[in-house]
Amino acid sequence: MLEKNYLWRIYWQLAGVIMLCVVLGLAAVSYFSHRVFERELVPETEKKAATEGSSVRSLVLKASSYGIPFDSLYGVDKTFEEIFSENPEFSFAAITNTEGRMLYSYGKEPPGALVHFHSPALLAAMRDATVPWQVAHVGPQYVVSLPIIREGQALGVLHIGIDSVFVDRVLLEVMLDVVVVLVVSLFFTLELLNFMAGARLASGLGEFARQVERMRAGDFTATARIRANDEIGRLLRRIDAAVDHLNVRYEFLAGELQDKLRTAVGARRDALKPAMAMLEAINKRFRFGSAPKGAEGDEMNLNRIRAPLFAFILAEELTRSYLPSYVNQLLVNVPGVSPQVVIGLPIMVFMLIVALGQPYLGGWSERVGRRRAMLIGASIATVGFLATALAYNLYDLLLWRSLCALGYAMVFVAAQGYVLDRTGAQNRAQGFALFIGAIMVATVCGPSIGGILADNIGFRMSFGVSAIMSFLSILAILRLPAIEVKTPSQRPSRAPRMREIMALVLNKRFMTLTGLAAMPAKVILTGVCFYLVPLYIVSLGNTSAMAGRMLMVYAVMMVVIVPLSARLSDASMRRDRWVSIGLIISGVSGLLLLFSDSFLVLFGVVFLLGLGQALSIAAQSALVADHCADEIRIFGHDAVYGVYRLLERLGNALGPLIASVLVVFWGYQGAFVAISALVLVCGIVFTIATRGMVMEEVPAHT
Amino acid sequence: MGTIRVRFIMVALVVSFFAVGMAAFLNYFKYKSTIGGMIKSRVLVVGRSIENSVQASLSLGLQFTELSTLPSLMEREKSADKLIRGIDVFDDTGQIIYSTEPARVGQRVMRGWTESANRSKSTEWSSEAPDEYVAGISLKNNFDLTVGYLALRYSRDYVDRAAEKTAREILLIALLAFAGIAIVAPLALILVIRRFEQDLRTLEIAASHLEDRTQGPAITGSAFDVAINHLRDSLRDANGALDDLRAKLDAAA
Repeated sequence: MLEKNYLWRIYWQLAGVIMLCVVLGLAAVSYFSHRVFERELVPETEKKAATEGSSVRSLVLKASSYGIPFDSLYGVDKTFEEIFSENPEFSFAAITNTEGRMLYSYGKEPPGALVHFHSPALLAAMRDATVPWQVAHVGPQYVVSLPIIREGQALGVLHIGIDSVFVDRVLLEVMLDVVVVLVVSLFFTLELLNFMAGARLASGLGEFARQVERMRAGDFTATARIRANDEIGRLLRRIDAAVDHLNVRYEFLAGELQDKLRTAVGARRDALKPAMAMLEAINKRFRFGSAPKGAEGDEMNLNRIRAPLFAFILAEELTRSYLPSYVNQLLVNVPGVSPQVVIGLPIMVFMLIVALGQPYLGGWSERVGRRRAMLIGASIATVGFLATALAYNLYDLLLWRSLCALGYAMVFVAAQGYVLDRTGAQNRAQGFALFIGAIMVATVCGPSIGGILADNIGFRMSFGVSAIMSFLSILAILRLPAIEVKTPSQRPSRAPRMREIMALVLNKRFMTLTGLAAMPAKVILTGVCFYLVPLYIVSLGNTSAMAGRMLMVYAVMMVVIVPLSARLSDASMRRDRWVSIGLIISGVSGLLLLFSDSFLVLFGVVFLLGLGQALSIAAQSALVADHCADEIRIFGHDAVYGVYRLLERLGNALGPLIASVLVVFWGYQGAFVAISALVLVCGIVFTIATRGMVMEEVPAHT
Repeated sequence: MGTIRVRFIMVALVVSFFAVGMAAFLNYFKYKSTIGGMIKSRVLVVGRSIENSVQASLSLGLQFTELSTLPSLMEREKSADKLIRGIDVFDDTGQIIYSTEPARVGQRVMRGWTESANRSKSTEWSSEAPDEYVAGISLKNNFDLTVGYLALRYSRDYVDRAAEKTAREILLIALLAFAGIAIVAPLALILVIRRFEQDLRTLEIAASHLEDRTQGPAITGSAFDVAINHLRDSLRDANGALDDLRAKLDAAA
């Protein structure tokens, strides 16, 4: 569509300019903050070096008080080594005698050190017992010098060198977070462009394009719509005016002809025949009058769902990178259950409630109304987030997380229903792209920002931020239209029946796909990303922010690869192969930890997992229709997909449980390897089982 | 200024506010944690020498409760750094056995101290009180058994003042950066969306001449030229048909 590409081109240009400005702003903040850090931290480090130096000096004085000659002290190197291990900013230490000759040294000697040690000014100052310490900039180091004086007699000088680049090292972690902020800003920009300007612009231009098409087809029926007071609105008003004038003219001419026909007889009536023929031709070629109400599109209101959905999902995604660490903090001893399993419980309960709740909440949201269902769900989740922030221990945390899960399931299902209600066969894919887009952007932004927040303001405050986001989503939901839209032909949705579940669970074809592909894919997703990665990274001494960055890698892979793989798998019509490749890549990911436990390898694990999932995820659900055409004919499309989704989501709940049990037996690395091996085996068996199967051509299902 | 232009500028400002705000927030917290850690490790240096002395006494066979030289050593070490407000040594029940403030001996420390000492995976631990920070070391005997805890209380003011000063500076930097963006971004955006606005203007002008019987403004090469032509053609066709009808009605009259 012309207007869509046209708009996206503008969005990207705008996003580019905004990003450039943001980068410049961030660079300025980073540069000047670096200067502040340097100015404030260097004196503090010097004080610390002086305190460390005093401690070393007392040892030296103690040794020399036992009569050991000052130039023959034993273990000075060892002492220096110890203080270096505790103070990574120290890079050099030395003891010189009163003439400046170096007796002991450790670390990297800065250029010009010997000249400094021999400087008469320093040597004179260091003979004065009232001088506590002196600092000089020697080469790339700040050297703190302390006099060593026993009973009024100067013995020598202790020097400690501080590497001036230590401030850079301190700021490196901040820089990584700033890069994360930059990536998140890009996604925020696109989201905000859509929310603040794009939704109206897109619907306005869409309406314009439709109006042009209608008029080309001869449809001049007038629509009584309220136009926005912006450029597009004004434009549409002008077109409306032209159409209205045309309608008035038509009505007038048709009325005039009718009047004349009523009074005309004989020759006069014959004279009107060409006009009558002309009117007939006009009526055949053009349509005038009022447009039927149902003909009005609802694109504007469809776009409105994106903002509340994004805000709400972001609230939950913010917690992904630090939730297991928070649970660890509130851990209580549950008799007979390993603490590792207990840590996984809140994630498992959350996933279980979402899995079991969604099939039933679909019908409920239809009954109470999508907007109302979303409001109730978001309110419950807001209370859940707030209470989680104030949780006393694991038991009440489980309850509060259950509230979050219930709210999540309600909002998710109601938002999905909102899209379904406002889309038809022609624009359903577009509607779901909007729905999934909001979720994916929240998945990219949430864990990374959540990790940063948790590291800096703590877990409880970070849950408070989630509560605020969830509350903001309520405000955005309130802006949704209060009038529900329902297509007359739409059947009420229902949860799958037990009979259908049992029949499908025992169906070999259905379970080949669900049991060997969909469920393992979800098990590895939640087991690795939601449970193992956050805990393993923190266990290595890293921060929640690092866990967030890792999860962001996964989400970015999904955002980038999924649209591509969906297109390619649809084009190739060998979706089973895409699922196989995806599963095998996911399965190989964790095996990397067999070779090394380095951080880079962990990055590789998450990267491969993201790649594998992205390759298979789109093809997987489309494959249900390909693979289970007979089952769909017997049980119906809704039932087959309903059971498929239910089992898939149960895989989500099983992931943390399986991962935690594996951790108990084999530790974190073992759990990564074992869960990946399980998926790899499933991938291989799936590949063998689907070999030679003939696929029916069915378009991708969302 | 056009409504759409204002909205795009608003987006730029909101995103910049978020990014610059987050960068300032990160820098501030990094500074606070770095300065806090630095001061804590400085205080712990003093604690280490007391720890060494206690361990030396224990290895000589002295009881933990009979270290008579410990209070004077603690007093001496406390005076080595003005930052330290007081030093306490307490047992695993939380009862203070030695302190640089004699009045505290026999009292119990806050429960948070013993909890964080027990929770810590190393011998070092830390806690917070309303007006002071506490850096501590678990004291172990030769058999690696914890016999008590050393707590060094130091001024919270010092850390908070340093953090506040830096916070003000970082805030100022962030505000200036944001102000810079607020000036540059609208100008840059105007340059980018000029073409889009021009397209919209062309469209609006064309729309204002839709009902003119004249040819209307010339094709400008805008993205909407095709659509505008379609609109004009459709309206011309419809009006032409109605003109014919009018002519036929007039002829009949």
